[in-house]
Amino acid sequence: MIKNILLASAFIFTSVTAFAVDVPISGTVQSRCVISVDTPGVYGNPNAYTLTTTPADGGVKPIVRFDVTLADAYYAQITTPSSFSSSPSLNDSVTWTGSTSVSAISDATNMSAYETNKTTFGDTTQYDLTATGSTWFESSSTATNGGNRAFPGGSYTAVVEAVCVAQ
Amino acid sequence: MLKKLLLTAVLVAYSSYSYSDDITPYFGTTGNAAAGGHSWSMGTVLPTPPGLDINTIIYDYTIQKDVNDSVNVHVQNENANGTGYIFRETDEWKPGSLGGTEIRKVVPVIPNIPRSAWGDGSIEVEGNGTVEDARVVYSYKVDPCYDPQFDPNCPGYVTPAPPEVEVFDVSTLYDATKDENVNLSNDEQILLQENEEVVEEELDEDEEEEEKRKREYRLAMLADTNASQLFAENQRIEEMNRAMQVVVNNQYSNRSVPGGQYNDTITLVDAEITDSKSGLRNGLAQQLLHEKMISMQYKN
Repeated sequence: MIKNILLASAFIFTSVTAFAVDVPISGTVQSRCVISVDTPGVYGNPNAYTLTTTPADGGVKPIVRFDVTLADAYYAQITTPSSFSSSPSLNDSVTWTGSTSVSAISDATNMSAYETNKTTFGDTTQYDLTATGSTWFESSSTATNGGNRAFPGGSYTAVVEAVCVAQ
Repeated sequence: MLKKLLLTAVLVAYSSYSYSDDITPYFGTTGNAAAGGHSWSMGTVLPTPPGLDINTIIYDYTIQKDVNDSVNVHVQNENANGTGYIFRETDEWKPGSLGGTEIRKVVPVIPNIPRSAWGDGSIEVEGNGTVEDARVVYSYKVDPCYDPQFDPNCPGYVTPAPPEVEVFDVSTLYDATKDENVNLSNDEQILLQENEEVVEEELDEDEEEEEKRKREYRLAMLADTNASQLFAENQRIEEMNRAMQVVVNNQYSNRSVPGGQYNDTITLVDAEITDSKSGLRNGLAQQLLHEKMISMQYKN
């Protein structure tokens, strides 16, 4: 009799625990906006207190490419540098200027207005990516040392940040 | 067994590689068709192999226009087999677009358009604007088996019948030097004769060299033959010597010599032996002759 009771309680216990199961759901979101570096920038040094990407001053403008496969879904936000990511110890404050513009497009009909429709806030320029295809954005950056004092000798690095923001 | 398997595998891999190397379609790109201007002939742009199929056109240029202008740019190829264009891509630069903007475009093309249909290419600008730094590149695929007779491995290849070899009688060939109607000048005849002499000399030299070679060969063979004969002769002599030695050995017999004293059996009767007169005379004459010869060397 005791055996039967134990067996019955075991069945009940088992049947109760069998309903408590977690079912996972997984999924992957494929990126439809890909950012890649087309041309790394280089600072030229036209005088002791200026570093600039202007080609006439020995610099190279950085170019970044946005590849979009879904129209009207993303903004391209590009921010020019406001500080060095690495440099020697600076002897004064640095003044930064920068800008971004459309360098090349893959669809004139649907992308040719990107430049005129861009918005700028602070060091960041935003483009509404209304068409699928590739767009190349070119930035310029200039750093001027305070009081026209010479930059200390050494290696200087600054970063342009490019972000694809979903609308 | 393992070696055989390996060898077979290598051979199969090699043959497979050779096959794919010969007839596998390959891809390529042309140079910049717009390098010499905004119109070009496809005959000078595309390479020569048959079976060429353009699959993509890649182009880029920089538009120069006023921001308020509307400009259309057409990158196009005429239809060589008819009217209109076989390829035409239009870029609409609307008002608001800035001059100095570059466009980079990759345009796929409908496959299997015959090469002969690709007419002259051009960049056409409609509106108040210009195109700068244009670059137009055609990407293509080449199928070597477009003509099945290109390679025996091509599908549809038909083994050609062997050509009939015409039998020709060389003696019927025309020889100007034996033509009576050909009038040669003296110089030409001399030149011809000299040429014939040179040819004859060369033939003689060749014949002499051949004869010399044969002679050397015969001598070499003879030397070998002599050596063989000499060896055989030595063998024969050794055999004879061995046989003779047996005969000689048989002529001797074992004898015992008794011991004791053996006295001379010959007794000299005369007590004195006189010198020979003729010998004395002869010796004297030789002595005189010797002295005469010695004295002769002091006369001069």
